[in-house]
Amino acid sequence: MANLLRKISMTSAGHEDDGLRGDVVAAAVDGVPAYCEVIDGHLRDVIEQTGEAAEAIVQQLLTVDSLAEVMAGDVDRLAGTLSRTEVELSQVTSNNDRLVGRLIAYFLHRDTQIRTLVDQMRELDQHVKQIEQVSKATNILALNAMIEAVRAGEAGEGFSVVADEVRKLAHRSAEAAQGIGSSIGDLTAKLDGVLSDDSQFDRAGEQPATSEETAMTRRLGGIADAQREMSEMVAGILKDTVTAAAQVQRSSAALTTETTGAVAHVQFQDISRQMLEHVADAVADVRRQCEDVASYVRDALTEEDLLSRVISVEELRSRHVMSRQRSTHARQTGGAVHGEAEPLIELF
Amino acid sequence: MTTVMLVDDSATMLMSLKSILTKAGYAVETAGHGKEALDKLGKGVKPNLIISDVNMPQMDGITFAREARKAPGMRFTPILMLTTETEQSKRAEAKAAGATGWLVKPVGPDQLLGVIKQVLPGA
Repeated sequence: MANLLRKISMTSAGHEDDGLRGDVVAAAVDGVPAYCEVIDGHLRDVIEQTGEAAEAIVQQLLTVDSLAEVMAGDVDRLAGTLSRTEVELSQVTSNNDRLVGRLIAYFLHRDTQIRTLVDQMRELDQHVKQIEQVSKATNILALNAMIEAVRAGEAGEGFSVVADEVRKLAHRSAEAAQGIGSSIGDLTAKLDGVLSDDSQFDRAGEQPATSEETAMTRRLGGIADAQREMSEMVAGILKDTVTAAAQVQRSSAALTTETTGAVAHVQFQDISRQMLEHVADAVADVRRQCEDVASYVRDALTEEDLLSRVISVEELRSRHVMSRQRSTHARQTGGAVHGEAEPLIELF
Repeated sequence: MTTVMLVDDSATMLMSLKSILTKAGYAVETAGHGKEALDKLGKGVKPNLIISDVNMPQMDGITFAREARKAPGMRFTPILMLTTETEQSKRAEAKAAGATGWLVKPVGPDQLLGVIKQVLPGA
C-alpha cells in the first residue's frame, strides 16, 4: 500500500511512469464521497422508514389488543347476564310448576265438591219422591173418606168437606213435590253440565288418566309441560351461548398473547437500526479514506497521516457489538463462525 | 404498584416493552437516554426496577447505572441492561457499574417477565 501510494504521489506531477497517474486517481476517487453520502442517505431513510413502520405496527397491535380486551369484557358481561338469566328462568319455571300444581289441586277439589253436591241433590230427589208417594196415598185416603161420607148421608156432609180439603192439600203437596223435584233435576242437570262442559275440551276418544282428572286439570298440566319444554329449550340455548362466550374469551386471551408476542418481535427494528447505523459508519470510513487519498495525491495530506488512518477489516470487526455482526463478518472474510459463548440472559 | 423504569433511545423498544409490562400489571416510567432517566430519579421518581439499553446518546446505559446507584434510595434497586451488545468486556463493565443483570435483545415477553420475577420476587 505504501509503495503504491509513493508511486501515485511521484506521478501526480505529470510524469509518465508505468501507467499510474495521481491526477487520474484523484479524479477517480473524487466522486466517492458524494456516492457514499447518497448511500448514507439511503441507509438513514431505511432506518427512518422501518422505525416509523415498526411504531405503526406496535400501535396497531396495541389497538388490536385493546379491542380484544374490550371484546373479552363484553363477552364476560354477556356470559354473566346469560348465567343469571338461566337461573332466573329456572326459578320462573319452578314457580309456574308450583302455581299450576296449586291450580290443578284447586280444580280437583272444586270438582269433588260439585260431585258431592250433585249426589246430595240426588238424595234430596228421593225424599221428594217419597213426598209424592205420601201425597198419592193421602189423595186415595181422601177419596175413600169422601165415599164413606156420602154413605153416612146427612151426618157425613161435614166430613165430606174435610175429606175434600184433604184431597186438595194432597194434590197441592204432589204439585209442590213435583216442582221441587223438577227444580232439583234442573240444578243437577246444570251442575252435571258444568262438569260435562269441561269434558268437551277433551280430545276425541281420550279418557282421563285417573277418575279425578278433568279436561281443565289436564289442560293446566299440558300448559305446565309446554312451559317446561320451552324453558328447557331456552336453557339449552343459554348454555350454548355461554359455551360460545367462553370460547370467545379463550380466543381473545390467545389473541392477546399473540399480539404481546408480536409486539416483542418488533424489537427487530431496533436491532436492524443499530446494524444499519454500523454500516453507515463503515460507509463514512470508506468516504473519509477516499477523501484522504485524493488529498494525499494533491499533496494536501502527508503519507504518514494517510497511512495512520487507513481502514481495515480487523478494525471494522472490533466495532461489532452483536454476535450476528461477528458471524457475518467471519463469513465474509472467510473466518470461522463461532456461536455466542455468553448467555443471552445473565444475572450477576 | 410495582414501577419499572425503561431507558432506551428507541421509541419502538419503549412502546414494545411498555406494552408487555403494562399488561403484566406494572406501572411504567420511560426515558429516552441515561441523562433523562437520571433527571427523573433526581425529581423523585422511585422505580422498583430499571431496565436500560446500553448504547444511547447523551449518556450510555453503563454510565447511567453507575450514576443511578448514587441517587437516594437506589442503592439496591435492580438494574437490568437490555442491549444488542454481546461483548463480555461490556458485561463486566456493567457489572462493575452496579448492574444486576444483562439481557440480549430481542427478549420475549415470557423471558422478560421471568427475569423480573427473579429480581423482584415479591412483585
